Amino acid sequence: MKNLFRAAAVAAVTALALTACGSGSPTSSTNVAPTGDIKPREISWLLSRPADGAVINIMKKLADDYAKDHPGFKLNLITTPDRPSYIQKLETLAAANKLPELFDTDATPFARQLAQQGKMLDGEKLLKTLGIYDKYRPGALDYQRFDDGSLYMIPFQFELEFIWYNKALLQKAGVAVPKSLDDIPAMCTALRSAGITPIAVDGQDQWPLERYVAYQPFREAGPDFVQKLKKGEAKFTDPAGQKTVNWLAELGKAKCFQDGFSAQGYSDAQNQFTSGQAAMYNIGTWELPSLATDKLNPAVRDDIDFFTLPTTAGSVTAANEFVSPSGIGMAVNAKTYDPLVSDFLKFALQKYPAEYAATGVLSPTTDVETTVPANATPLYRKALDQAKDLGSKQAMPWDTQLDPTTNGRLQQELVLLVQGEITPQQFAETMDSTIAQNAPKFFK
Amino acid sequence: MLPTRMLPNRSRTSVLVFLLPPLLLYCAAVLFPILQSLFLSFFSWNGISDMEFVGLANYARMFTKDDVFWRAFLNALLYLAICLVLQLGGALVVASLLTSLRRGRELIKTLYLLPAVISTVAIAFLFVRIYSLEPVGLLNQLLQSIGLGSLERPWLSDVNTVLAAVSAPEGWRFTGLYMLIIYAALLAVPKELEEAAVLDGASRWTLFTKIRFPYIRPVWITTTIMATTYGLRGFDIPYLMTNGGPGQSSELLTTYMYKTAFTSTDFGYASTISVFIVVECLVAVGLILFLLKRKSDA
Repeated sequence: MKNLFRAAAVAAVTALALTACGSGSPTSSTNVAPTGDIKPREISWLLSRPADGAVINIMKKLADDYAKDHPGFKLNLITTPDRPSYIQKLETLAAANKLPELFDTDATPFARQLAQQGKMLDGEKLLKTLGIYDKYRPGALDYQRFDDGSLYMIPFQFELEFIWYNKALLQKAGVAVPKSLDDIPAMCTALRSAGITPIAVDGQDQWPLERYVAYQPFREAGPDFVQKLKKGEAKFTDPAGQKTVNWLAELGKAKCFQDGFSAQGYSDAQNQFTSGQAAMYNIGTWELPSLATDKLNPAVRDDIDFFTLPTTAGSVTAANEFVSPSGIGMAVNAKTYDPLVSDFLKFALQKYPAEYAATGVLSPTTDVETTVPANATPLYRKALDQAKDLGSKQAMPWDTQLDPTTNGRLQQELVLLVQGEITPQQFAETMDSTIAQNAPKFFK
Repeated sequence: MLPTRMLPNRSRTSVLVFLLPPLLLYCAAVLFPILQSLFLSFFSWNGISDMEFVGLANYARMFTKDDVFWRAFLNALLYLAICLVLQLGGALVVASLLTSLRRGRELIKTLYLLPAVISTVAIAFLFVRIYSLEPVGLLNQLLQSIGLGSLERPWLSDVNTVLAAVSAPEGWRFTGLYMLIIYAALLAVPKELEEAAVLDGASRWTLFTKIRFPYIRPVWITTTIMATTYGLRGFDIPYLMTNGGPGQSSELLTTYMYKTAFTSTDFGYASTISVFIVVECLVAVGLILFLLKRKSDA
């Protein structure tokens, strides 16, 4: 028995030592134009997008087209739409050094470490070599960049986030569209006293509530605040931090969100808005098919409109600057990058935008025009047109910025703050000490 | 002793040979990961960085600096208590009542056992709906209809009720299973003993405490150990229903360990927590054996 223990221990050490060795080997991330013959084979893309969504359908079709001229080529699409599960899968594969040729990731601190270890191909160089870099919307590329401006992920979408509202409900409560973020708490109080749920939010998935913590600092101090905050260089006790903490506490006090929001999911929140129970709903253009077409409940169809993120007095960012994400990006594995992957990407990335825009969505590039679907309401065109006039800054969702431990804690504490279980001061203290404890490991 | 005496020497070797594969499987599937966790708990490692030996730093952090860990530990104990009361207490009551039933035993047994075969995910979604306030779920409707409308609340969003709310489905789910085991044990209590006691004028309660319970004690110990270890590693229902929230109100050690490993990618620290869970389970089983054995000796 003793020997068995010893053998198991030795095996454990060996297994760990092997994985550690495997992850240490550096590969070149800058050689974007590999030389040699194109040898068709099966490649994989590990992705986190809707299984029957436009991105997957189009890339499948493009891969089939490419395979016609390159027999033996196959693009294996492995999707895990649920984001937390996907991130776990990705991180486990990265730990085992088994990442496929292509994989999705946001510009998270974890992805940055992968890039620093030379595991991802330099995206900017790649797009420039393919001659398509200048076609991309600057905002779409900026969303994918790390803090130092380096670009490793390629965007496949471009979305704008608005606050959708129900005109009839606002009228019933006698309130107008808010001019400033600071108007919202009072607005909620008025809506509540008229018996209306002010804002429907998906509390279960946590990122929708986390959007709200980003708004005040983006207006007060610009996009730099979160970049400093995540490293511990700015604090929640700073003026911009205090503003957001107090504002969120006020939103909670005014009962802005539906009762029991923390246990309600994505479709619960959307149903509350589209059934005319909730007055406001913060979501992006990916929901245009359900909010601005004849699929929308006829009872509210003529009452729905949207406004963009309100500014504040003394705001350092403009009204046309708000959350405009280009979605999760695609990274190219540097280790498995070869003439075939290069040739396929050249083929697919050039044809992708036209196909994508034809499905009624905004392309991450500016060289194509989006086709408005036949069943769209006038709101559809209005929403798309917002993309034509965007400022140079954008509000980054904080869940892609903070280290994962801090992010998890922030999501938990936010619920407590909004529910009034903790004071703004307790919130700021907890979060500042969490950042101080966890940030150094990720932002060395 | 009887079986070994019946086996000649050569067969005893063959028994050992047949026992070896399961033992090896057990070592590979259970002991090896535990040892690996123990090993990892002395390192700081996020999966892609170089492993850094940190000695006991992870343990120091767990015991002295991590408020979430202690919160999760207390929550886990409370979760365990609620599960045990519902599972063992509920099972014992139902099984005792069943033995005095003349007809329909099979039907009731099957009905009670049903939840144990429903998938966990379905149970979690079912209870999210039952506890909901907007739209009004079953529980709140029920309270309203019996005039207790003031108790209406979003059970899963209220920090005071959420832990009990996520423990109840787990308890409810396995009550039937333990009921079945205890019921079988109760059936084996010799009828003539009970009849003799009744003739001597023993009350139902005395009958239960002096005859029935001592008789089923070995089975009771096994079910207690089973329910306790299942309760200590409870994970899926709280994780699916609230993901530990709101705040850390329904965070258990297991969900916290899982998040530390796979969301925070802090594999070293997560291993430290898992080592604690292993020790906690061993201590719990030891305690149960000690308490129940001592009682039976007394």
